Amino acid sequence: MTEYYGSKLEDIFNSMEDRFRPEGAEGVDAIFCYDIAGEDGGKWQVSVKDKELRVEKVEGNLKGCSVTIITDPETFIGVTLGKIDAGEAFSSGKIKVDGDIGLLTNILPKLFTKYTPPAKDVTSKDIIDTVVERFRADKAEGIDIVIGYDITGEGGGKWSVIVKDGYCSVKEGLDPNCTVTMQMDAKVFVGLNLGLIDGTAAFTSGKVKIEGDMGAAALSAGMFERFKVGVIEGAEELISLKCLPSIDQRFATGPVMGKWFDGLKEKKFYATKCPVCGRTQIPPREICALCRVRCTDFVELGPKGTVTLIDDVYYASPDPLTGEVRETPYAGVYIVLDGASEEEAFAHEIKKEDIDRIKPGMRVRPVWAEKRVGSYKDLLYFEIDE
Amino acid sequence: MAVHKEDTSHCYVQFGRMALPNQYFAGRVGSRFIIALRDEHKILGVRCDKCKKVFVPPREYCERCMSRLDDNWVELSNEGVITNFTIVRYNDKHLPRKAPYVLALIKLDGADTPFAHIVEGIDPSKVTVGMRVKAVFAKETTNTILDIDHFEPL
Repeated sequence: MTEYYGSKLEDIFNSMEDRFRPEGAEGVDAIFCYDIAGEDGGKWQVSVKDKELRVEKVEGNLKGCSVTIITDPETFIGVTLGKIDAGEAFSSGKIKVDGDIGLLTNILPKLFTKYTPPAKDVTSKDIIDTVVERFRADKAEGIDIVIGYDITGEGGGKWSVIVKDGYCSVKEGLDPNCTVTMQMDAKVFVGLNLGLIDGTAAFTSGKVKIEGDMGAAALSAGMFERFKVGVIEGAEELISLKCLPSIDQRFATGPVMGKWFDGLKEKKFYATKCPVCGRTQIPPREICALCRVRCTDFVELGPKGTVTLIDDVYYASPDPLTGEVRETPYAGVYIVLDGASEEEAFAHEIKKEDIDRIKPGMRVRPVWAEKRVGSYKDLLYFEIDE
Repeated sequence: MAVHKEDTSHCYVQFGRMALPNQYFAGRVGSRFIIALRDEHKILGVRCDKCKKVFVPPREYCERCMSRLDDNWVELSNEGVITNFTIVRYNDKHLPRKAPYVLALIKLDGADTPFAHIVEGIDPSKVTVGMRVKAVFAKETTNTILDIDHFEPL
């Protein structure tokens, strides 16, 4: 199986049992299905019931799924590791979800502890690279030494660690002024630093050879904090939270804006006409805000009109209703419908094929949905009237 | 075509749902504050030596003299005093508790600024300014300020 971000699909699914948190599964009865496409993909079914977990690799069709996640291996591993933003993967269509999405956003995070990729082998260089940040100035007061490391074997190298005036630095190669030089195999060096090998035993058995000031070698141990595997990946934990707020929306048109939707059903544009200034408002409004009077008269506009302005859009924001990002480019057009007062242009969209040709002053006509229900979707777009 | 107020024949109701992915980064200072809450049950603030003020939640710069504060951490008491409060009386899914609940400004011992949190374990009508309260830490972490679950009266 192919590795992405240092992990394989199998690693994630095989570790689920260890990462399962029965306390987070209280009252959960669900089957999570994963349909991961591609040569190195596969299908998995993760069932949770009565605080028990069952993970199965499925060869045929996935059955009885409460929710199915359809994606590819790279996206799945990336999202699991937090390398790819789940929301973005979802809105760009790299992850598709079939079924109860709430299970993924609300339940799934409680069921498992976070997946961490299998630890990479620690090398001598990893340890040397962290020497400076592990250095404890408070333990090195008045110490002025140079410690040479001559690490042999695979992953070895020569380094000098210089401690002076409460500062620590590292340079490649053995400094001619080394106070002490320690020679050992890379495996021994890593083992010592990870606490897997006892220092005294390694010295007495000859695995570590020390030349120069033995006292300095002993001193060096206390001057550094212990090497931790996590340290190589980033010493500082930073908190970043992701959330997908879902806010229900309800919009009541009222009778005036409602008249507009009635009109769309009949392929008509209704506008209100101000009894004082005579301007038309489209979509209709109850009040003429300029004259501060109630508008009670409706007039029919269009349906054809004249384009006054064009907006070419190359970067689309996600649709707040679906989270999906629409195809670009598209073009918004401002249209003065026939019969409308001049300043009351109506904003809509031009047909994709007409984007390159549309110019201010051109005549356009509306294109309607076949089935119209009294919704903003009834009017599809405008096209050039030829 | 006159419109009468009573006429609802042209009224439509349109439903939708907003779902926008969000990401919030706590920053270095905010992260350290949350991590201390989470791992050590300690509330940390930062002190401006020039203005002699201790700020909590911690911030990178002093709001008065603009000195950098992120190397001057102080540990605060888990107890403090209510300096002001309100009773939240409506329910909404983004709110942390069911109404009614008390949202109070609490000035911790050792701090000079109050910060907002939930007060529980007392009838909301009995909460008073000046009341002493104590932090109760959450059993499960969310990596947020709700790693303090709530404050309760002493």
